[in-house]
Amino acid sequence: MASMNENVRMLTLRELMNRPEGWGREQGREVYQRLLRSVEGSAGTMVFKISMRGVQRVDISFASETIVELARRYRGTKGFCVVDLSDPDLIENIDAAAARKAQPLTVWQGKWPRVIGPAPTQGCREALDLALARPQVRAAEFAMGKKDMSIANASMKFKQLWEQGFLLRRESAADTGGVEFVYQRIG
Amino acid sequence: MQCVVRFPAKWVDASSFEAALCSSGPHDPTSFEVAFEFPIGCKVMVDTGIRLLSLVNQLASTTRRVRLDFEEGETGTMGYLDRMGFFDYLADDVEVLPSRPFYSAAELHRGGNAALVEIARISASERDEELPTRLTDALMQSCHARPDADELRGAAWTIFAELIDNIFSHSGTRLDGYAALQVYPGGNRLLVAVSDSGLGIMETLRPALNTEFPRLAGLSDTNLLVEVFRQGLSRHGPDRGCGLKGSAAKAIKFNADLDVRLPNQRVFLRPARGAYEAHKAYCHEGLSLLWGTHIAFAFKLAS
Repeated sequence: MASMNENVRMLTLRELMNRPEGWGREQGREVYQRLLRSVEGSAGTMVFKISMRGVQRVDISFASETIVELARRYRGTKGFCVVDLSDPDLIENIDAAAARKAQPLTVWQGKWPRVIGPAPTQGCREALDLALARPQVRAAEFAMGKKDMSIANASMKFKQLWEQGFLLRRESAADTGGVEFVYQRIG
Repeated sequence: MQCVVRFPAKWVDASSFEAALCSSGPHDPTSFEVAFEFPIGCKVMVDTGIRLLSLVNQLASTTRRVRLDFEEGETGTMGYLDRMGFFDYLADDVEVLPSRPFYSAAELHRGGNAALVEIARISASERDEELPTRLTDALMQSCHARPDADELRGAAWTIFAELIDNIFSHSGTRLDGYAALQVYPGGNRLLVAVSDSGLGIMETLRPALNTEFPRLAGLSDTNLLVEVFRQGLSRHGPDRGCGLKGSAAKAIKFNADLDVRLPNQRVFLRPARGAYEAHKAYCHEGLSLLWGTHIAFAFKLAS
């Protein structure tokens, strides 16, 4: 079965910035337009990895107008994750911007994904943890591993995570012959 | 009517600046001439210096005659203001006694002293892309003895970037804004001040409250200001306003005091229990009119 994450493109943010520092809303809006052109230029791509390599600093306003705005615009249809990000101050600023716009962002550190920005609701936390721990997951698999969890209830949780921008999803043929959704972490 | 503002013969900080202004209203519609007097021994601090620069340029822009009288001449506080670049940005028609400096000490020595960053102009038409980095470098030169110096660098850059960007984004000003930094080793602190003459935070936020944040519409200006820094309120709605909130969160982490002067109020916030709290704020209302928003952060050099 083909994974939608096979269709991944890397965007190096620094190449779209004039300087290694991203400062303010106005600069952010300029860079956003460039990001947008890159995304629209690869129509079939589902997942974009935004590399922070070479970016020294970004303030909260710049992060809000660029990475976070892009992820929000395509929420549910395309996924954006952040890679090459280790500076705690950069993470803190992107996190603050993502929280403000209620747009989660997946950050990859090596093989490990984590989500910054808004926290999932308490009820969805476990479902998200499971989705982050594997390339893809079905609601039935989550329900199976939990006592007192119906498939319908598990489906609700994943649907919510997808709507809120934590996960991507695609349709797949279910064992029963119908259609079910496969949920995937971003990146 | 002539209005005379006489500063005291001592350090002029944000409080004594207000005390000198309070007896006289330079912006009063009846005053057509304003004189600022600096007696011997008067020493203007950096945050006061750029508030004064904003005020004087505001007055000059409203066709008032303005005079600055430095009784100690260039050997006194005038020499310091010159070193900071005050006269480079002072409106041309402001009279200076004994006379304007012949050349600008700021231009001559710019960048030559790690303990200060000369006044920088914040103008939408001419954005100084290096300014947050210059302020940060100066801060780090002076704060390197702090145990949290490493983390401070990134936080400081963000604070400066957001404060200055806020002027570009919100104040809608036709008068320039200013930023400057000065280290006070004797007081173990460093002051960074940003000042603009545009619409104050309250003027832009108040009209939007009923639609965007109706719950907060009944708050006093002081409480609302605290919420601007705590929650990040913006007239553009709940998506925005994260800049000032984020700056404040970082400043709190590094235990910085925050002083905000609005057109008629001043609020001083000192971090307590990891937050700026309204009931811990020192507030002064009914102050002499000063257009715009004037923010100063005070960092300790070493804890």
